[in-house]
Formats: sequence, C-alpha cells, structure tokens
Amino acid sequence: MRGVLGHFKELDGAVEAIEELKTSRLGDVTVFTPTPRHEFEHAVQPPRSPVRMYMLFGGLAGCMFGYWIAIWSSNYWPLVVGGKAFGSWIPYTIFGFEVFVLVGALSTVAGLFIHARIPRLTMTVGYDPRFSHGDYGVWVECAPDKAASAEALLKKHGAVEVRGER
Amino acid sequence: MATIAYEPKRPNIATANVPLPAVRDYEQVDDEIAATLRPSKAWFALLLVAMGCLAIGIAAWMYQIQQGLGVAGYSPPVMWGVYIISFVFWVGIGHAGTLISAILYLFRAGFRTTIYRCAEAMTVFAVMTAGLFPIIHIGRPWKFFWLIPYPNWRLLWPQFKSPLVWDVFAISTYLTISTTFLFVGLIPDIAVLRDREKNPTRRAILAFLSFGWRNTEREWRHFARAYLFLAAVSTPLVLSVHSVVSFDFAMALTPGWHTTIFPPYFVAGAIFSGIGMVFTIIIPIRKWFRLQHYVTLNALDAAAKLALTTSLVVGCAYMVEFFIAWYGGVKAEQDYFWNRVFGQWWWAAWIMLTCNMILPLSLFSQKLRRNPAWLWILSIFINIGMWFERFVIVVPSLSHEFEPWQWTAYRPTWVDFAILLGSFGWFFMWFLLFIKQLPVIAIAEVKEIVPPRLRHAHAHTPDTADDFEPETPGAH
Repeated sequence: MRGVLGHFKELDGAVEAIEELKTSRLGDVTVFTPTPRHEFEHAVQPPRSPVRMYMLFGGLAGCMFGYWIAIWSSNYWPLVVGGKAFGSWIPYTIFGFEVFVLVGALSTVAGLFIHARIPRLTMTVGYDPRFSHGDYGVWVECAPDKAASAEALLKKHGAVEVRGER
Repeated sequence: MATIAYEPKRPNIATANVPLPAVRDYEQVDDEIAATLRPSKAWFALLLVAMGCLAIGIAAWMYQIQQGLGVAGYSPPVMWGVYIISFVFWVGIGHAGTLISAILYLFRAGFRTTIYRCAEAMTVFAVMTAGLFPIIHIGRPWKFFWLIPYPNWRLLWPQFKSPLVWDVFAISTYLTISTTFLFVGLIPDIAVLRDREKNPTRRAILAFLSFGWRNTEREWRHFARAYLFLAAVSTPLVLSVHSVVSFDFAMALTPGWHTTIFPPYFVAGAIFSGIGMVFTIIIPIRKWFRLQHYVTLNALDAAAKLALTTSLVVGCAYMVEFFIAWYGGVKAEQDYFWNRVFGQWWWAAWIMLTCNMILPLSLFSQKLRRNPAWLWILSIFINIGMWFERFVIVVPSLSHEFEPWQWTAYRPTWVDFAILLGSFGWFFMWFLLFIKQLPVIAIAEVKEIVPPRLRHAHAHTPDTADDFEPETPGAH
C-alpha cells in the first residue's frame, strides 16, 4: 500500500480536496475525521451500509429460537398450568421478542465489526493520532507517478502537512 | 498534554442552534473531558465510602446465607420484602439510561448529547445491582442457575409460563444490550484517549479496548448505522422490560396487583425514577468537574420537563388505581386501597404521594427547573419516593389479602437494610470507577454539535468567544 497523506485543519478544505480527488481519479481516497460529518458523506458518496441486514436476519433467527425453545421444552417436560395448552404462544411472545432483540443487536454489532474491519491489530499506514483529536486526514492510495499530482492537489486545498507513506 | 484552553466564568445559556456556546473547538472538548479522568482526593474518599457500604452489605448477606432467610424479616404471608422492592427499584433506575440514549436519540433530542453517557453507565450498573436481588432473595443463591434454560442432566426445563422466568430473559437481555450499547458508543472515545495517552501500559489497554479504531469515514458510516439500529431495538426493549417486571405482580390475583394498568404505570415510574437518579449523579459531576458549559441549564431544564411529564403520568396512575377499586366494586380491592392510604400503611403511601406527585409539581416553575440545587434536592426525594412506591405495591398487598388470617405486619430487619445499603455501595463503586477510567461525556457526539473549523467561515457561524448570556431565566 503506497500513497499520499494530507493533513487538514479545516473541514471545507478537506471536503474540497476529496471532491477534486474523486473527479481527477488519482486513486482511492480514505478520509479520517474525529467525528462523523455529512459533508464527507456527500463528497465520498459511499454505498449504503449493509449493517441493517444483520439486524433483520439476526433478529428473525433470534425470534424463532425464542419461540422454539419455549414451545419445545414445554412439550418435552409437560406441566399443565390452569388447564392451558402446553405451548402457549401468547406468553411465549415475550421470549420471541427478547431473543429477537438480543440476537438482532449482537448481530448488528458483528456486522459493524465485519464491515468497519475492526478489531484491527495495527493502525496501518495513513493514520495519525491527530485525526482523533481535531484534525482531518485524506489518504490517497496511488501509484508513485501520480503522487506528485496528489500532493499538489492536497496542498492547493489547504493541507498543512503532506507526506508520502508506504 | 495541552492545557485547558478556556474555562468559563459562569454557566451559560444555550440556544437551539448553538447548543454549547462556550465550547469553541474539538481540541477544547478533548482537553476538558479528558481532564475529568484525573483522580482526586475527594474521588478516593467517595470510593472508600462506597466500598465500605458494599462491605457491610456483603457481611450481611454472608450472615443471611449462614442463618437462613428468616433473618430477613419475612413472616408469612409477606414473603416478598425489601429484596423484591429493591429489585424493582434498581430495574427502574436502569430505565432512564436507555431512554435518554436510545429513545431521545431517535427523536433527535439535542439535550441528551451531554448527559447520555452518564445515564447509560448508570443503566448498566443499576441493572447489575438489580440482578443481585432475586439471587439474594432466593436464599440459596447457588441454585440460581436453575432458572436458565440449558440442556442438563436433570432433564428439567424452566416453567416458561412463569413471570419469574420472563424476568430472567428480560433482565439478562436488557443488561446485555445496555452494556453493548454503552461499549459500542465508547469505542471512538477510547480511541481518543488512546491517541492522547503517554503511558505505554495504559496505551496498550486502550488500544485493545478501541479495537484499532482509526476514525475513517468507512468506520463512522457503519458505526452510525449500527448505532441507529441498536437504538431502534433498545426502544421497545426499554418498554418491555419494566412491563415484564410488572407482570410479576399483575399476573397474581392479589388485591392491588391484579390490574391491567401495571405495565404503563411501571414503565412511567421507571423512567421517572431513572431521571431522578440521573439528576442525583449528573448535577454533582457537572459541578465538581466544572462541566457547566457542557451540561447546560437548557439540558437540565429539558430533562426536568421529562421528569415532570412522567411524574404526572405516575400521579394519574395512582388516581386511576383508586378509581378502579371504587368503580370495580370488589370489596377486597376497596379495603386494600383504604388500608394503603388511611390504614396500616398510611405513612408509606403518603411518603410516596408527596415525593412522586406533589413535590415534582414544582417543576412547572421554569426558575426551579433551571436551578441545579433544587433539582438535586428534588431528585433525592424522587429516589426515596420511588423506593416507597415499590414498598407500597409489595408489602400492603401481601399483608392484606382476602381473608383476615392473612392480615399481618411486616418489619424489615437490619439485614434487609444492610443489604440495601450494600447495593448502593455496589452501584456507586462501579460508577466511580467508570468516571475515572472512561469519558463521562461522549467526546465524539459532543464534537458533532461543535462548529467545525472552516477556511471560509459562513455568515451564520456563531461567534462564541466571550459573549455569555445571563443565567437568570427570561433575561436572555
């Protein structure tokens, strides 16, 4: 992995740099920001996060398990309570719901980890501790022959520091 | 470490489009919130007090295990006492955290931003505390695992039609999800601490806990989506948990318990008591850590309105209970409610009514809603009132059932009170440890509402340099 890292103090400078990098097609862009900003989302135009599907399928699986464990064990160890059916689906909705929430939420977190690619053992290239503090970073992954153009572009938009990394 | 760049001379009043007027930039947020992590002598003293209370509770519990449940003040037919009261009380305390962090997040209520981390941590520790009480109450705590469904050599399964098993599922799910919600929200903030940390051991621990978070746009995109869905499922979970707890009572035929009003009544009461505890905790934190410009008077005012609303709902539920008893025409119900308010338990009922219905009416005054000292005093009354609400629900019903031989008294013993004291020690010990290890205010979310630095400042960008509005309501 080789590229150029631009370090910005101002939000609009970083956003303008990303917009121009997207049109000039110098390379893949990674943005570092201390807090989520809609301006970056509009500039990067990323695909929709698939994390919601984890909630859907995890939740459905959990719901089915919640009903199943209650109904199966009631039939396996039958106790008549108040002359009611062994498998009473109305009270068992509590189990269906609770396990829906439990498995759905944990699946969502798993989805977050998978798609955000965490846990990460190393910070890899292109990260600077200042990006969690208050500054913005734009990492352009590009071939050596395009590095000079990328550096010039980043500086033009107000990058206070530009460096090549590999 | 950078020094604190700015320290306001007095609390300021936020406005809708400038929620934190005294916070200028991201660096100030990091510096001031990270400064709360430095332990002080007062913190050590409070931790010692909390651990002392916990030690008293543990000693009393050991004594009870050795001597048997008889030392706990139970006398038939009153076989639910301080432990079940405290269980419901602590579950209730745990409700405000998820309400503030999840429900108010979905409603985009801006005032939650600076108080939700505190409320979330409070939720986790309150539910941890609540979970201890059924285990203490069963007398033989080592049998607790029988309530959990798993394949076993006894070939036995829990009775899934029992509200007590519903409780096990509801509380354990709530604890798991609350903890997950808290921890997921903490990941970016732990990354901030990791990047500031100079001590290599602490840095390694923080790096491990932050999962290598790098603040990339990709990470934030998935994070925001996951957080939204966690909030979305936590919302019905909050409502379900105390509904399920209320079924412990409402499923019985006992006078005072057998009523369909219990689930919404319990949920409103839980939110009310939780907000009370949020005030109890956040107001001293705000003062001691000099965070008045983060937890603004506007935020306290908005939370006080929420407390007032839930107080009115709870008060309405109290009145409706009396109406149902009168209109239903069931003699046992009518006698029970008379006995509750004018008979044997009048003192407990009037503590409840005064603390939960009458005193919170003061929050109709804007001046009092914006007075942190009054809010803190009121929150203590709310905590007391809500504990007594559960006392009034549990004890008078069991001590005044259908037949005269069931009419009896209940006197908690020193063991009950020692374990109750221990539960407060347990709760505050965890909370005190939390506030010195992790940020008590969500750094990343506060940065979202702080104006970013721009090359070309917009015309509407507020100038917040030295201009503070007065604290007096109505003067701004």
